[in-house]
Amino acid sequence: MTAGTMIGASLRRREDARVLRGETRYLDDIECPGTTHAAFVRSPYAHASIESISVPQAAPGLIAVVTAADLGDAVRPYPVMEPQGAEVRVSEAHPVLAAGEVRYAGQAVALVIAESRALAEDAAELVEVDYDPLPVVTSPRASDVELMRWQRRAGDVEAAFAAAAHVVTGSYALPRLVAAPMEPRGCVASYDATADLLTVWCSAQDTHRPLEHLAHILGRPESAIRVIVPDVGGAFGSKGVIAPEVAAVAAAALRLGIGVKWTEDRLENMLASSQGRGIEGELDLALDAEGRMLALRARLWSDLGGYLLTTTPLPPHTAATLIAGCYDIAVADVTVVGARTHKVPIGPYRGAGRPDAAYMLEALVDEAARQIGIDRVALRRRNLIRAFPHTTPTGLEYDSGDFERCLDLALELAATEPDKRHGPARDDVYVHGTGIAVYVERAGGAFESAAIELLEDGRFAIASSSSPHGQGHDITFAQIAADRLHVPIDAIELSFGDSATTPPGVGTFGSRSVAMAGSAVALAADELSEQARALAAEVGLDTAPALNWVALAQAADAPLRAQAQFRSANVFSSGAYAASVRIDRATGALTVERLVAVDDAGTLINPLLVHGQVLGGAVQALGECLSEEAVYDEDGQMRSGSFLEYGLLTAADIPPIVTGEVETPSPLNPLGAKGAGEGGAVGALPAVANAVTDALGGRYVAPPFTADKLWRALRAAP
Amino acid sequence: MQINGRVHEGEVEPRTLLSDFIRHQAGLTGTHVGCEHGVCGACTVQLDGEPIRSCLMLAVQANGRTLRTVEGLAEPDGSLTALQRAFTEHHALQCGFCTSGFLMTADALVRRPGAAALTEAEIRQELAGNLCRCTGYEGIVASVLAVLGTAS
Amino acid sequence: MKPAPFRYEAADSVEAALALLVHEDARPLAGGQSLVPMLNFRLARPELIVDLNPVRELAGLAVTADGALRIGAMTRQAALLRSPAVADGWPLLTEAVAHVGHSVTRNRGTVGGSVAQADPKAELGVALTALGARFHVRSGERGGRTLGAAELFAGPFTTALRDGELLVEIEVPPAPTGARMAFVEHARTHGDFAVAGVAVVHAAGGHVAIALLGAGAVPIRAEAAERALREGVDASEAARLAADGVPDDYRRALLQTLTERALARVTT
Repeated sequence: MTAGTMIGASLRRREDARVLRGETRYLDDIECPGTTHAAFVRSPYAHASIESISVPQAAPGLIAVVTAADLGDAVRPYPVMEPQGAEVRVSEAHPVLAAGEVRYAGQAVALVIAESRALAEDAAELVEVDYDPLPVVTSPRASDVELMRWQRRAGDVEAAFAAAAHVVTGSYALPRLVAAPMEPRGCVASYDATADLLTVWCSAQDTHRPLEHLAHILGRPESAIRVIVPDVGGAFGSKGVIAPEVAAVAAAALRLGIGVKWTEDRLENMLASSQGRGIEGELDLALDAEGRMLALRARLWSDLGGYLLTTTPLPPHTAATLIAGCYDIAVADVTVVGARTHKVPIGPYRGAGRPDAAYMLEALVDEAARQIGIDRVALRRRNLIRAFPHTTPTGLEYDSGDFERCLDLALELAATEPDKRHGPARDDVYVHGTGIAVYVERAGGAFESAAIELLEDGRFAIASSSSPHGQGHDITFAQIAADRLHVPIDAIELSFGDSATTPPGVGTFGSRSVAMAGSAVALAADELSEQARALAAEVGLDTAPALNWVALAQAADAPLRAQAQFRSANVFSSGAYAASVRIDRATGALTVERLVAVDDAGTLINPLLVHGQVLGGAVQALGECLSEEAVYDEDGQMRSGSFLEYGLLTAADIPPIVTGEVETPSPLNPLGAKGAGEGGAVGALPAVANAVTDALGGRYVAPPFTADKLWRALRAAP
Repeated sequence: MQINGRVHEGEVEPRTLLSDFIRHQAGLTGTHVGCEHGVCGACTVQLDGEPIRSCLMLAVQANGRTLRTVEGLAEPDGSLTALQRAFTEHHALQCGFCTSGFLMTADALVRRPGAAALTEAEIRQELAGNLCRCTGYEGIVASVLAVLGTAS
Repeated sequence: MKPAPFRYEAADSVEAALALLVHEDARPLAGGQSLVPMLNFRLARPELIVDLNPVRELAGLAVTADGALRIGAMTRQAALLRSPAVADGWPLLTEAVAHVGHSVTRNRGTVGGSVAQADPKAELGVALTALGARFHVRSGERGGRTLGAAELFAGPFTTALRDGELLVEIEVPPAPTGARMAFVEHARTHGDFAVAGVAVVHAAGGHVAIALLGAGAVPIRAEAAERALREGVDASEAARLAADGVPDDYRRALLQTLTERALARVTT
């Protein structure tokens, strides 16, 4: 295999075979003899004080009932991240089990352990909790408790607005969403007293954060905990931070010295898994007479939920920092407030603040175009950032990009002959609209590492710090290593997901795995090659035309090994999306006729997998536009608490999606890679939203764009 | 009951779901549980050749019946079927959790008489009973089209 | 979620089923596509489940000598969908059942089960209402009785079936000669529950039936609209009359549009 044929090759995933044969091991597939089963007593109230808890003395198969009182100070509340410059009320961290009060319907109050899940649920019904209901707040602006605040001012905002020829204002909202991976959460915890080792199998996005959080919460050194991540059935951000239930199960396993398994069911997941989006914004844009953007003011309110989980402050902060998007705006005043509401906490969900920012900004730019009377594409062109690196007024540094080329390609693809799938659409029956949006998103950052070893047979074993949950790490990292080592792909073996053997890292989230963990693999391979060349010189082996790895393996006294850590600042992916829609005038039903997706994720290692990520993210955004919404009533009760109510899209709901790529390599890593994991979710939302607003003649409706809302909007007074 | 040609016996409570019997008593964990209310389709298996939701059937109801799960899909010599190979070729899976359910639905679909005449829209409707949160469905639909296209 | 504990008995005949259903906290298990989710959610907690699946005499479709369609309550929705006789004589049913759930759920879901569930959003109840179906019910103690749709569908998820009674068969009269039929619905996503829907049957000579899904808690015949159509009003006006009285303005407009579209298919 010659060098250079691996990068950019759409190799098929060798990791698929196990899945296709049903040989995978997801969390619930793990059976350890003697493992007991957990179920939780959960609060039916969104806000209440707990007056008393009385547990049954005995029940069929019941082993133990654990409450916050039983755990006492054996557990501490969650560590909470504090984004730079943000004020975060870390005292409002999520407790493991509810202590004295509950702040969302579904919050775990007691852990019930029994011989089977069914028996645990039976016993849970016998636990009597005396609640005293308290007032419920469900709207962030109605809340008088701030859990976080971040503010940034750059330049003379007042002067810019005073000098502006045009000031455009917009008011936007995105409801909360449920991440809804097909596999809910879960863990198996087992304590070996002799070795004083707590082992936790966890359906998680990586080993690192569960290890760190469990160590913090249980007050135990990381060396006394082993986290194993099995096959994971999707996450989309919702399995980054361990569930409070996982902490409770781990604490119980430690205390009772027994193995305990918790397999979350779908109803629990809908209710108690951290949710995405849930943000409102008021934005003002100041422009000069020619439509050049002078300043941006943004006030954002995040519907944060009842407590802070570790990464709860992150999505609203990210939204605030990305609020100026792809535009060259030097002056800005941005404030984001995370308000406490009586709902499950917010957490990262595909895009995690990036779609929120793109959605609001791109809607505002279209509004500016309408108000000023400039073409919306021309207005964007007039203001796109063209010189890199670029520092935003919110303090981000964009490494590279070509926003205009993305826009041009999106427009070119949108202008091609429309797909005939939906047939010609009559104007008397339908109202049409088109939308365009550009986006930029923050990817990469922090560090990841890789350890590589030359095996006896001349093949290579690589342990990566990053864990896959569908992204295709195995084939992708194998391609990177094979490319650096000039060997066939079959010579590379990857391992992931065991804190006992996984090298240090941060996690799989935020479109970062190829840029960070992939680069670590490349560096580790390069270092191994250097060692190999030195050894070859020593023992008199040829190094041209290629290294003889089999001979080197035999010649080495000890196996050749290398470990590399790669750290960098954030890299920035970007793109441009376009959508065309039609609305049935009589019923309000929305049809997305076509979506065009152009993404710049830097150097692509495996274009087939990137395409899959773009499509997956775009379809999630389409769900957000067409039907998804975590609905709460004014008592804080979740009304969309199962798949019967929460509207996930099916194969029959997907419009034609045309994709295109722009590759502006990042200067910040040896691969030139950025990130493709979230672009679809970031770009499709504003494009479709803008198309709907266009179809409605400039009238704004918040997603999801359900038929009843559009019907009313078409008939509302202008 | 017979699963993939082997007899599996057990004593269960009436409330034991077929999905749990298959996974935990027969030890065939390739069938997955995603919702336990019949919407996601991850638990789909074939009962006497017809795809059904195993989470909506009591284990006792399958007494004496014949089932096929994803573990029994491959050819007798162990090689993957055209459908399974198409799934890899067309990148029809990412996390893989929904895959076995899709395979059992799609396998029955492609073997239906007249399946080769199905349009893409009809195939999408037939697959609409299985949810995927990762792929956006494109690769799954392409796989089925590919298999039907090459079937004579 | 796992169900609360229950006892299970498999019935091998209608008599056996009726004898078991006398138990005060017993529920019949048909296709399971509605009942088992409720068991799994612990929203239904019967003491005894009576499995009707082994009762062969309850399944099967037949067209009688006088041209009526007899649908055994345990007939699978998939069988209804595939039946050439149904497609020929009562295409409204073929069209309506294609909207019920998905292919895979139709392999187990039954016609009788859907009717007995009486979900206000269910398509089969509306189609059967438009076709003037008759519902044959039996009980161990009280023998048999027959109900019309309006009598059977009493409220949301409520039928007029009394304790110990079992729906055994649905009888659909032959459609008038030359009758044309259409089923139209609006759902949020594909295969999702209908938000609103309309089933219409129309034959030259004055036969017209319009049944609405989503106008209330049960399928409703739009009798004023049917009368008006027979008296010669146009489809638009009939559609307006059909939806008239539905409180929510969007739902009213939606039903009106769906009725208009359904009527257009059967009158032009």
